[in-house]
Amino acid sequence: MKRLLPVCAGLAMAALACSAEARPLTDDGRLTFSGFGTLGLIHNNLDEADFTRDISQPKGAGEGWSARTDSMLGAQVGYRFTDELDTVVQGISRYHDSGDFSPEVSWAYLRYRPDPGVQLRVGRLGWDVYQLSDSRYVGYAYPWVRPPVDHFGTLQLTYIDGVDVTFKQPIGSDLVLLKLYTGRSDGDVFIGEGIETHFDVDKVYGGHLDYETGPWRFRAGYTEVESDITFSGDFPDQLDAQFDQIRAFNPFFDLTADGVLGDAFGFDRLKLYSLGAVYDQGPFQLQAMWNRSKTSADGAVDSGFVSAGYRIDRVTPYLIYSQVETTSDGEGGSEGDFKQKTYSVGARYDVTANMALKAQLDRVHIQRPGFLWRDIDSDWNGGWGSIFSLGLDFIF
Amino acid sequence: MNRVQRLLIASTLFATLVAAVPASADIAVVVNANSGIDHLTRSDAVNIFMGRYRKLPTGNVALPVDSSSLKARFYRALVNKDLAEINSYWARLVFSGEASPPQQIASGDDVHQLVLQNMNALSYVDSAHVPDDMHVVLTLGE
Repeated sequence: MKRLLPVCAGLAMAALACSAEARPLTDDGRLTFSGFGTLGLIHNNLDEADFTRDISQPKGAGEGWSARTDSMLGAQVGYRFTDELDTVVQGISRYHDSGDFSPEVSWAYLRYRPDPGVQLRVGRLGWDVYQLSDSRYVGYAYPWVRPPVDHFGTLQLTYIDGVDVTFKQPIGSDLVLLKLYTGRSDGDVFIGEGIETHFDVDKVYGGHLDYETGPWRFRAGYTEVESDITFSGDFPDQLDAQFDQIRAFNPFFDLTADGVLGDAFGFDRLKLYSLGAVYDQGPFQLQAMWNRSKTSADGAVDSGFVSAGYRIDRVTPYLIYSQVETTSDGEGGSEGDFKQKTYSVGARYDVTANMALKAQLDRVHIQRPGFLWRDIDSDWNGGWGSIFSLGLDFIF
Repeated sequence: MNRVQRLLIASTLFATLVAAVPASADIAVVVNANSGIDHLTRSDAVNIFMGRYRKLPTGNVALPVDSSSLKARFYRALVNKDLAEINSYWARLVFSGEASPPQQIASGDDVHQLVLQNMNALSYVDSAHVPDDMHVVLTLGE
């Protein structure tokens, strides 16, 4: 908690300093500064397991209150060279794989827009693998306290270092959009007790096709991630120690924890298929998404959610249903697999035009405990958990 | 009654009168009268102001300009959303680097100047007060 205090103080000050628009810092408006942040508070009623927002978080929110899971602060500086060419650098401080709030550069790119129908970006880019995935830390942008954990919590990467190109073509009053991207990346995720997985991504590439008609936005996407995977933590260490003992007797024994776990999980080559639809008409908002991620070991992560909200003056009540399920070896329901469903109800209250207050209750039905939870009691088989969250989101 | 008091009373009366007159009913999307743009559809205006696709019928890149004093009325009329929702919409696009919001201009006179100087600029005015050198390409009922 001590480590959190300066972060919280900083967030509160940033919130107080809020003004309504992205501020130009120079008279000609070429240099701009803006930012976003969230002060989040979680209450978890489970003493058997700790709640996380995503698999990059090494520790979760245990029984009682915690401010670590959802609090964050981001800032963006932009500079416009010409109407066609600009650059953006964005940083974020949130609780992530390093186990603290150390800030990281989330994007840093040059953007070239020679025509309204073409955009080219080079540098560090958001991983636009699902709808909303590259804005999932911008709480002010969505009605919920956080994007549904069952769906967004399993994402392995936040950014790619590479290039993307977007083409837009109007068809009557509709719009077709094609985005293609390729690059490298890296990231650490925590997939279970004492197993930290490091993704050294040689190649990530993919794209999506969007169709916008009236209030609807549809998307179909496909991405492949090719990585060198290494494991660390207590479990791989113990495994390697045992292998070393065997090797003392048999010098030809060549198993390693990385090799064995790598084969078992098959994270070296991931294929992500996704579909999404968003309906946004006046006060009514509806979203539905589905994803299947396949591993090279023929395992899969299936996830999806539906959400509906209706704005009444300054208040937007909403409902979410989400679920996630893993299957190994193409068969359903084995021992190590993870399965849960979440029913959420909440409301967003727009305090001002740059600050929103949110409250949300998640009823999580954990059918088989797994990698979105931390510090799981070894004899726990799952059950129902209640997560109550408060969030204050702001932009400046 | 001194002059200051009289002035105060007069201005209060005037303000009351102005407030009592119903706000004129429509918002006009305007361009430079010499821009060569005759007409825009509502979906053109949505595409341009919401950053979806910013090409004018002339083939040039559109330069949308938000006029602060009318902004709330304009977006209510265009997409039935209030300013918090518009800011929320832009937060997603700005912080994912997908698009930039229209240029923000506080004073109506400055908006007028910008539209006079730039053939690709679009903004909006109260349809009851359209200057002669601006051309209305779309009227949004309120």
